Amino acid sequence: MAIVDPQVPVDRETVTDIIDCDVHPYLNSLEELTPYMDESIQRLMNIGRFEKKMLKNMNAGAFDFPKSRYNNPNYVLRLDAVTPDGGVPGSDPEFLTQDLFDRFHTKYGILNVGHGSMSAYHNVDMAISYSSACNDWLYDTWVESDPRYKMTMVVPTLDPTATVREIERVGQKSGIVGINLQNVNIPLGNRFFWPVYQIAEEYGLPIVLHPDAEGSGEYAPTQSVGPASTYTEWHTTLSLVAQRQIMSLVCEGVLEKFPKLKFVFVEYGFAWLPSVMWRLDKNWKGLRDEIPWVKMLPSDYIRRNIRLGTQPMEESFHPKDIVSLVQMAKAEDMLVFASDYPHWDGEYSPKVFAAFPDDMKRKIFYDNASQAYRL
Amino acid sequence: MSTPLLAPVMVRVCPVDELPPGRRLLIEADRLQIVITNVDGRLYAFRNVCPHQGAPLMCGPITGTMVASVPHQYEYGCDNEIVRCPLHGWEFHMATGKSVAQRDTVSIKTYPVETNEEHILIQLPRQPESFAVHTAR
Ligand code: FES
Repeated sequence: MAIVDPQVPVDRETVTDIIDCDVHPYLNSLEELTPYMDESIQRLMNIGRFEKKMLKNMNAGAFDFPKSRYNNPNYVLRLDAVTPDGGVPGSDPEFLTQDLFDRFHTKYGILNVGHGSMSAYHNVDMAISYSSACNDWLYDTWVESDPRYKMTMVVPTLDPTATVREIERVGQKSGIVGINLQNVNIPLGNRFFWPVYQIAEEYGLPIVLHPDAEGSGEYAPTQSVGPASTYTEWHTTLSLVAQRQIMSLVCEGVLEKFPKLKFVFVEYGFAWLPSVMWRLDKNWKGLRDEIPWVKMLPSDYIRRNIRLGTQPMEESFHPKDIVSLVQMAKAEDMLVFASDYPHWDGEYSPKVFAAFPDDMKRKIFYDNASQAYRL
Repeated sequence: MSTPLLAPVMVRVCPVDELPPGRRLLIEADRLQIVITNVDGRLYAFRNVCPHQGAPLMCGPITGTMVASVPHQYEYGCDNEIVRCPLHGWEFHMATGKSVAQRDTVSIKTYPVETNEEHILIQLPRQPESFAVHTAR
């Protein structure tokens, strides 16, 4: 007999539809990618007929998918989302629509791969091939299965030319609504990325950043001050990555050069936003001649071009404090709802927004994302 | 004489052998959902709803924890005495309902359970109008 889940009814008076900007699909195994991947790369990844059973766990014995070095000592995926067949949470497209979309009244759920990108991996040729295979698999298996599914495409971040090629290859498909760029150890403002920004703006696709490469691939940043010792420390410092990247985007003039391009930072929280805005504005007033291409207040650029996923929402001492904070930063148009299903740090229900006024909720749940993504 | 509606009552849950060690059941008494577990012969009953955001504790692992210690010393304890929320991982002592991290301010409601010769019984705050027992999936 099935467990009777305590249903959390959505408050129908204030909430209409939801766009969920962070839903994670999982591969059960890398083997699922073999139909989409050239034999030579299958050989390098030891999948398909090139599996290396005996040496799998030996040091340097076989290909190891670049996973985070930081493991959650408990359960990184929520155990109440195990599929009816006992499968990995997030591995069954049909069950996910019932367990999440039906419960939240989700109109669109934007898929960001849960099993990981290879964007910061040292062998860029493998990352190129993996990215294409992963995009094709996700489109065929998930996006085609239900009209509510949309996806961001993964790219080989360390090769902007190959990234542009991949965007040209699949970026016009209707279910693809953003580019999952990933953090590598080149700041986002750097002109290395500008060809990618150019095509993204042209295609109307936002650049999406989501934790994944941080701490997995060899080219990933170590959160400004060196490696953290524990998962707790690592996870909490993720917000610093977004702050650092936003400063880079403003100071390098990216937001001036690509005025229509949106950058969506998902899963970095948002309570730090006033500090970033106020600090940049203050410095700009005295130092603007060093970055004369920054023509407006940095906070105005941030408000126009940057979007932030709500999750993991900082839990203020009093529920209303976080609302005041959004108002202080004038960030009502910047926040987009993200459930992060089936991760351990996602929201159980839209009710966590109970303290937010209705017009703000409408923007967060729907309007802001519908404008930021190519939906 | 019928039982007064607001007095605590002992309600029969199931025969003893329907809840062997390592298993758990979900009770629905009116709109109240209660998890009842058998951990190595010890019975615990607690509300199914996590006080943080409401996730079902029925799906949470039963585990131990690292007890509070001095920096850089790990000490595992309370083995199989803790239920951990399946979502964000808040921990609760099953015997007292108290949260491990916020013991003075956060807790889950627990319910007395006992067995007679044949049955498991739970004490509820009042006589429920409907009562059902479900097994885990
Ligand atoms: S819902 Fe249980 S810890 Fe958040």
